[in-house]
Amino acid sequence: MRLGHGPDVESFRNEFTSWLAQNAPTRAEMAADPSRGSAHLPGWARAWTRRMFDDGWLVPGWPADRGGRNAGPIETLVYLEELASAGIPRTTNPQGLGIVAPSLFDFGDDDQVRDYAMPILRGEKAACLGMSEPGAGSDLAALSTRAVVDGDHFVVNGQKVWTSGAAYADFCFLFCRTDPTVPKHQGISVLLVDLATPGITVRPLPEIVHPDRADLNEVFFDDVLVPRANLVGELNDGWRMANGSLAHERGLVWLRAVLELEDDVQRLIKEAPDRLADLGTIESAVHADQIANAYVDALAGRALGYRGLAKLVRGGSAPEQALMKAFCSEARRSACLVGVELAAGHGAELAAPGHRREAECSWAELYLASFGSTISAGSSEIQRNIIAEKVLGLPRG
Amino acid sequence: MDLELSDEEAALRDNVRSVLAGIAPVSVVRAVYDGGAPPADLWAQMVELGWPALAISERQGGLGLGFVELALVAEELGRAVVPCPLLATATQFAPALRELGGTNYLPPVAAGTLTGTVALAERGSWNLDAVRTSARRAGRGWVLDGHKTGVLDADTADELVVVASTEVGLAAFVVPQEATVSTASIGLDPTCPNGEIRLFGVEIDDDRLLGEPGSPQVESGLRRSMEEAAVAMAASTVGACRKIFEATVEYSKLREQYGRPIGSFQALKHRMVDMYLSVERATALVYYAALTIAEDAPNRSIAAAAAKAAAGDCQRLVAEEGLQLHGGIGYTWEHDLHFWLKRAKVGDVLFGNAIAQRAILAGLLGITARQEVAA
Repeated sequence: MRLGHGPDVESFRNEFTSWLAQNAPTRAEMAADPSRGSAHLPGWARAWTRRMFDDGWLVPGWPADRGGRNAGPIETLVYLEELASAGIPRTTNPQGLGIVAPSLFDFGDDDQVRDYAMPILRGEKAACLGMSEPGAGSDLAALSTRAVVDGDHFVVNGQKVWTSGAAYADFCFLFCRTDPTVPKHQGISVLLVDLATPGITVRPLPEIVHPDRADLNEVFFDDVLVPRANLVGELNDGWRMANGSLAHERGLVWLRAVLELEDDVQRLIKEAPDRLADLGTIESAVHADQIANAYVDALAGRALGYRGLAKLVRGGSAPEQALMKAFCSEARRSACLVGVELAAGHGAELAAPGHRREAECSWAELYLASFGSTISAGSSEIQRNIIAEKVLGLPRG
Repeated sequence: MDLELSDEEAALRDNVRSVLAGIAPVSVVRAVYDGGAPPADLWAQMVELGWPALAISERQGGLGLGFVELALVAEELGRAVVPCPLLATATQFAPALRELGGTNYLPPVAAGTLTGTVALAERGSWNLDAVRTSARRAGRGWVLDGHKTGVLDADTADELVVVASTEVGLAAFVVPQEATVSTASIGLDPTCPNGEIRLFGVEIDDDRLLGEPGSPQVESGLRRSMEEAAVAMAASTVGACRKIFEATVEYSKLREQYGRPIGSFQALKHRMVDMYLSVERATALVYYAALTIAEDAPNRSIAAAAAKAAAGDCQRLVAEEGLQLHGGIGYTWEHDLHFWLKRAKVGDVLFGNAIAQRAILAGLLGITARQEVAA
């Protein structure tokens, strides 16, 4: 165990920060045309992705022809930390870059890599993930969107829901049922579906906070024709792809959650002196205890993440993914609730005390929004099932 | 930052664990619980293995290893509920001597011929401001009067570092155990006996004074050595908690009701996962804090308080759920579970429980009401 990184990692950090200083998008250009969702590519984002791809900084762990430089996981961690501390988004299409492109490298054919994966890496196309359905959430394998072979095409009918970014994405990495007669995990395939294809309707699904900034969507498929060449991998072999890609930056997905938790806790600590000054001794002591506890959670989140990463670097498995997902999302929800309660009589307001509505989200909004992380991408309950069975070895019920 | 054990660290941990399984099996723990004394050769074997010398510098006859290694040993001591003077001597007494200028006492500590502890807390508080025990000049020496609480090995250690208040501020003295009146039998865990001591006009020679009374070095030395003691206690607590967690998971796989193992019920699974999350949270913070001490990082005080708080949170959940999930069998004296439950409880209390640690954190992080500035 040691606290710092080695000199190699620090020289990697220096190389990246000097490049970043020269090449990062400016605050002004980002503010003039903000990304409107998780598959929206404003002009600056397209150019930024392209610059990172060309110079080998898009996915440092990948080889040069895929926008990387064969960096190790520790270097990738440092890279993500530096981007975060500079306040620069790495991508405005996280599902495309983080899941769809690597899945295509693992499972797609050469044409699919050329026509779908590489355009994501060059900032030319954005992708969304078509997974959840009204009847298939935690039990994803129960999905019922049908794809039936008809000559050179699949005919797709059905509905997806919670599809992030579908309103702006160019194509969808769509999980659908291609054989309803076999056990549910064995009859699923993945298709690449151009979202401009006739028969597709995308309906935004506003969330409980900021309904004007909907990123989630319902996507309806009504006799949509998809070329057979757009089948990814083998027919009925799609379930393997539901668990993500091996080329994905596994072991680092926790970092974003930890950074958000740290930001929230720092905000709590910053607000505390003024808020506590308005409260009585007993209330003040209770709040101080809770804020300190949120700080312990944030420090633990980072320490747990580093521990999991160290196991991964040593070649072990990383059950920490489920641990980190459950821990960080719940710690963040708790920290936001501390903020709501610290705001006392202002806790039910839409603006942070002393701030204009637009300036900063209120704790009440952050708290409600934090449920996005405890519910999406495998709810906390599903993570507990995974840990119970895969890590603790408890028998299936 | 690398928070996974290196090959050498893992080998040390495995070695300590396997040695303890041989020399301090649970039958030894049970014998102490039933009123017996620890076997005489237990400490002798630890001395022979060099454990008291582990983190003492080579100049003082030690092995010169760091605090990370010491924390790993402390974790194993908690995991095996070992009755021995090692925790108090190596993680409280020796760091206090080193930090306060008492290095002349360290060679016999390293050699295993001198055991010790620290008597700091009063009325249940480890806050330095709470010290009321007095030390006043008398001729060429000092006279100590006071009442200390939460002293580990209070009646068995050879020497105690006693923290007292003088006219010019805090001072620390090395006091022979027989000069004090102790009540160690009140401890919940007889393998980790903590108790009270009273000092009634105890006369101490000047050469037993550590450092200069009232100097900043005494206060900072006390804080630094308390951080080591607290993190070691947290490590020991986490060791006991992980054992409770593992025992609970194993029991839930074996115990059948309604025709199936109780561990297959989702209501219990999720509670055991919560135990796991809590143990992992505390382990990660203990290792992090151990590193900040070993490398003397600027945030070591914050990391130490966070680790001790997390260990306290962990025992609170894991002891409660571990006992509840074991059901009736865990509630019996015959079952071993209570050894770990009690060790974990003592580990939370000594050197400040989770609430006390969060109060320390609130102070260090500035989570306090802004004071009105008079115009």
